[in-house]
Amino acid sequence: MKKIIISFFIAALLLCGCVQKEILDDVNLETGVGYDLVKEKIRGTALVPVYQPDKSVDNKTFTASSKLSRDFLNDVQRQSPDPIVTGSLEVVLFGKELSERGILDLIDSFQRDPSVGAGLYLAVVDGESKKIIQGNYGNRGTAIFISNLIRHNMLTKDVPKTNLQLFLSDFYQIGKTSYLPQLKKKGKNQIMISGISLFKYGKVVDTIPGNKMFFFKLLVDNYSEGTTEVKIGKEIAAIQSVQSKNDFKLSRSPRNEVDITLKINAILNEFSGNKVTKKEVGEIEKKFKKDVERECMQMTERFQKQKIDPIGLGHFVKSKTRNFDIKKWWREDYPKLKVNIKADVTITESGVIE
Amino acid sequence: MDMEQQHTVADKLKVSPFLVFFLIHSMQVGIGVLGFQRIIALTAGYDAWISVIFAGLSIHLILWMMYKIAETVNGDMVSIHTYIYGNKVGKLLSLPFVLYFCLIAVTIMNGFIEVIQVWMFQDLSTFWFSVAFLGLAIYIIYGGFRTVTGIAFFGVILPLYLIFTFFFTFPYADFSNLLPIFDHPIKDLLKASKNMSLTYLGWETLLFYYPFIKDPAKSKKWAHGGVMFTTILYTLLTVTTFAYFSEGQLQKNVWATLTMWKIVQMPFVERFEYIGIANWNIVILPNVCIAIWCASRVLKRTINIKQKKGVILVSLVCLVGANLFKSRNQLNALFTLSGLIGFYLNYVYIPLLFVAVMIIKKVKNQ
Repeated sequence: MKKIIISFFIAALLLCGCVQKEILDDVNLETGVGYDLVKEKIRGTALVPVYQPDKSVDNKTFTASSKLSRDFLNDVQRQSPDPIVTGSLEVVLFGKELSERGILDLIDSFQRDPSVGAGLYLAVVDGESKKIIQGNYGNRGTAIFISNLIRHNMLTKDVPKTNLQLFLSDFYQIGKTSYLPQLKKKGKNQIMISGISLFKYGKVVDTIPGNKMFFFKLLVDNYSEGTTEVKIGKEIAAIQSVQSKNDFKLSRSPRNEVDITLKINAILNEFSGNKVTKKEVGEIEKKFKKDVERECMQMTERFQKQKIDPIGLGHFVKSKTRNFDIKKWWREDYPKLKVNIKADVTITESGVIE
Repeated sequence: MDMEQQHTVADKLKVSPFLVFFLIHSMQVGIGVLGFQRIIALTAGYDAWISVIFAGLSIHLILWMMYKIAETVNGDMVSIHTYIYGNKVGKLLSLPFVLYFCLIAVTIMNGFIEVIQVWMFQDLSTFWFSVAFLGLAIYIIYGGFRTVTGIAFFGVILPLYLIFTFFFTFPYADFSNLLPIFDHPIKDLLKASKNMSLTYLGWETLLFYYPFIKDPAKSKKWAHGGVMFTTILYTLLTVTTFAYFSEGQLQKNVWATLTMWKIVQMPFVERFEYIGIANWNIVILPNVCIAIWCASRVLKRTINIKQKKGVILVSLVCLVGANLFKSRNQLNALFTLSGLIGFYLNYVYIPLLFVAVMIIKKVKNQ
């Protein structure tokens, strides 16, 4: 018995030094990274927060250029006093030029790395991502600021649900293409979400401007919230969607028509006119319905022309068709597909005043 | 024939019939759960969940046969072999099972070590980890079969909470991925069922600890219950995985179950895989213990080596085996090999034994 105990302790002693330790105070946590295309090379900017004694956060950035994204991390390691670890990465930004050339190789490394979480936010930058990464936005750190910015707009406003998992899932989905939010630097220390970038095989081919994001979200997300404006004559009404549901239906034979029904429950937030009576609400509803149908229609036509499918119509048709032929779908069926959009709008409340 | 062969086990060493539920279930759930989804989806696409149910149901038939065989000879695998082939040949033919269970133990242990090396610590030493792990297994087996059963019990109960962590994937799930149902030919579904059966393996150990079950007739429903629980669990996991990943994406992920944990985020833990993998230690511990126990038991029954010595011997073989396979390709070959042997053992050899035992029984009765 004694022997066993002694040998156990020896084994325990030997095992102690077996693996590399990573103590939180002795590593640099990379929370954000931006990639740009500069002179045919990929320039990466890693963002590391430095926590100050007065609880504020300093943003330190490291920049390096290379052909492979992992190489970039090596170069950056040579500039950093502590090892940089990717475990708490929150946001990854891609510069405009780079995203038009393709970001797949870069995404691959995030997918491969076991320490990177699936809830990571990806975004495209209108301009250079380095400029955004190097900005200072409040005292909680740049990465936290950007990820909070995206999260809150995703949960309560017009940005469709997005993260690394959803991006990859859409990318590999048969009959669907992926999309990411687009950021833009507004002032020296201000950024904003300026639209949605649409991808085709990992390259940005089109961008939906910020004021149309509301309609885009209606098409791609169930239960979306968001705000938009409706113009009636000279008056303007601000409408907030509280709840929405999109329902797809495929026509029987021939199976070349998809009916999309958008059910929207909305409230009236603001109205520039004098009075909001039943008649006015009815008019706003009608106009809003028309707006939604027109905008969504234009959007789907635009997608069909560019042969991208962020709504996942191909995926939808596949789930209704046996022996679905994806090559034929992209080549012949999708451009010819007839999409009918019907909006079903109910304005339930018009605020606390009458 | 000779009745002195009937190896009896003292009552105080036996376990209650309901514990068979945990013995069977814990042995079935091992390292395969972490990544079987990709393999079955490769042949049957997203219809593969049907194969999961089908493969699960097929086990009940084999289990029924196993109970019939064991009841007839009233003993374990070695008794069955001596019943059919006679004393000497029967014992000789039982010896390969020692190697089979060594293979199972090595497969499970190496599979787990690989997971730790890829997901957590790249520089974890295979040798030292297997030394520690086998040491623990020896210590448990020295406590006797009742202790092994206790570990199997906790190996099921303690990690059970992990089921809830998969709810985190629901906001990102798209169940229309599974449509249209039956889009693949029956042949592919059957092929996927065969692949799936590898993940289910482990219930054959019943034939080795059968003499240790108190009132075996009562344990039948618990054995079937254990298998059914595994089937339900695997089916739910498969459907969840298929809804979470798109088909192309799933093919990229070697450990789909672990990758799903990447989305789990709690205020107190940034990345859940670390907790999950650490917990998996408890899941695979009974696997290794039962496998090594079975191997040493066969040694005892055939060439009369004391089980305490047999355990050490088997563990040494496992230790050497564990250090032979290190790279991804070698490990893949190892998994395929043990899977194939297990498949033919369960789906070909046991039905053959069943037929043989039934015929001999008829002949003897006449």
